Amino acid sequence: MSETPLRPLDAPRVLVVDDASLVRMYYRGVLEKAGFAVDEALNGIEGLERVLLAPYDLLVVDVNMPKMDGFSFLRAVRGREPPIRSIPALMTSTEAGDDDREAAREAGANFYLVKPLPEDVLTAHARALAGRRP
Amino acid sequence: MSDLPSPVTDADFARFCEFLYRRTGMLFTPAKRYFVDRRLAERMRATESRSFAVYLARLRADRDGEVEALINAFTINETYFYREDHQLRCLTTALLPELVAGKPPGATVRIWSMPCSTGEEPYSVAMWLLENWPEVDSYDIEIVGSDIDTRALASAEEGLYGERALMRLGPDLVARYFGREDTRLGPAWRILADLRDSVRFTSCNLTDATTMALQGRFDVVFCRNVLIYFDEASRRIAADNLFDALLPGGFVCLGHTESMSRISPLFRVCRYDDAIVYRRPREGEHV
Repeated sequence: MSETPLRPLDAPRVLVVDDASLVRMYYRGVLEKAGFAVDEALNGIEGLERVLLAPYDLLVVDVNMPKMDGFSFLRAVRGREPPIRSIPALMTSTEAGDDDREAAREAGANFYLVKPLPEDVLTAHARALAGRRP
Repeated sequence: MSDLPSPVTDADFARFCEFLYRRTGMLFTPAKRYFVDRRLAERMRATESRSFAVYLARLRADRDGEVEALINAFTINETYFYREDHQLRCLTTALLPELVAGKPPGATVRIWSMPCSTGEEPYSVAMWLLENWPEVDSYDIEIVGSDIDTRALASAEEGLYGERALMRLGPDLVARYFGREDTRLGPAWRILADLRDSVRFTSCNLTDATTMALQGRFDVVFCRNVLIYFDEASRRIAADNLFDALLPGGFVCLGHTESMSRISPLFRVCRYDDAIVYRRPREGEHV
């Protein structure tokens, strides 16, 4: 028997796209606790492969990543057909400047949050965007 | 006793300890004779050396990587998760807040577990940060685990642990960071892939300035319970190497029975609520 708690089959699915394994683990912990089913990708390219394969209710995307950054990833997602193009997206970054905020908005982010993200902030924004309360 | 292929004399013992000391900095006195003899006998048997002289020749020539095998046999790898967790608490309540105050968001924070043995310490650091540091997602945290014992490093990379290593962890932490596996030797717990990927392992010798320099510079170094195996001269070399491995303002944490003040004048003693640690002075700052 696996000791991993079983998620209901209809739990909202989140894809966390971040190159830092500790950050992915932290977000996964918070989001699973809030009732989401969480998948992970290490960069934009892997993220794209994932969104083409499985339906997601939310994307949590870091800006700074090697290979393909968060802006390029999100632009690519927004360039696909529905329903992929309309998956809500929350961008995360350590940059608090207006330029990055604007770039995130142009790339199609619904929220732009500056790290660190406390548990309650991430949970509240994820729930708001995923459209239903897990 | 037929433990040894041929008796090791006091002179052999002295020559052998001298060799070990020069290669590792570990000093064994005649009081540790039993400990040394057992491991020496084990290596002589493994290499089918008929006499001590034959074995020493093999060792000096480093035939078939014997020096590494010998070092592996002499290192002590007794540790467990969340050992001396008051220092981990000190890391998140005092050291990191102080360190990141001088860094921009997103900057790299480098933490070194040296020696890391079979990985419990660097993985504990990663787990502790995830559980206790609210800014864990704001910095590019790089955790490196190093050891002179390559067998221990291979085990660290595999990340499979027995019950004893997990004795200080509550069931919730075990459930969160490990997957249970049934092995031939009974139940074991494998560290999650993401946690494993958050630590990079390298081989390094604390008394060898060259392998130390290859690791780059760190904000925090955990160097616990290893200097007690060194004599004064090796301790001083290790302290110099640790100093060079720290960024200005960086911290070194020793085991609770160890004191840097008695070894080296280079560091500043910092007393925090949870631990006493040693800091490399910042640029322009005196000890």
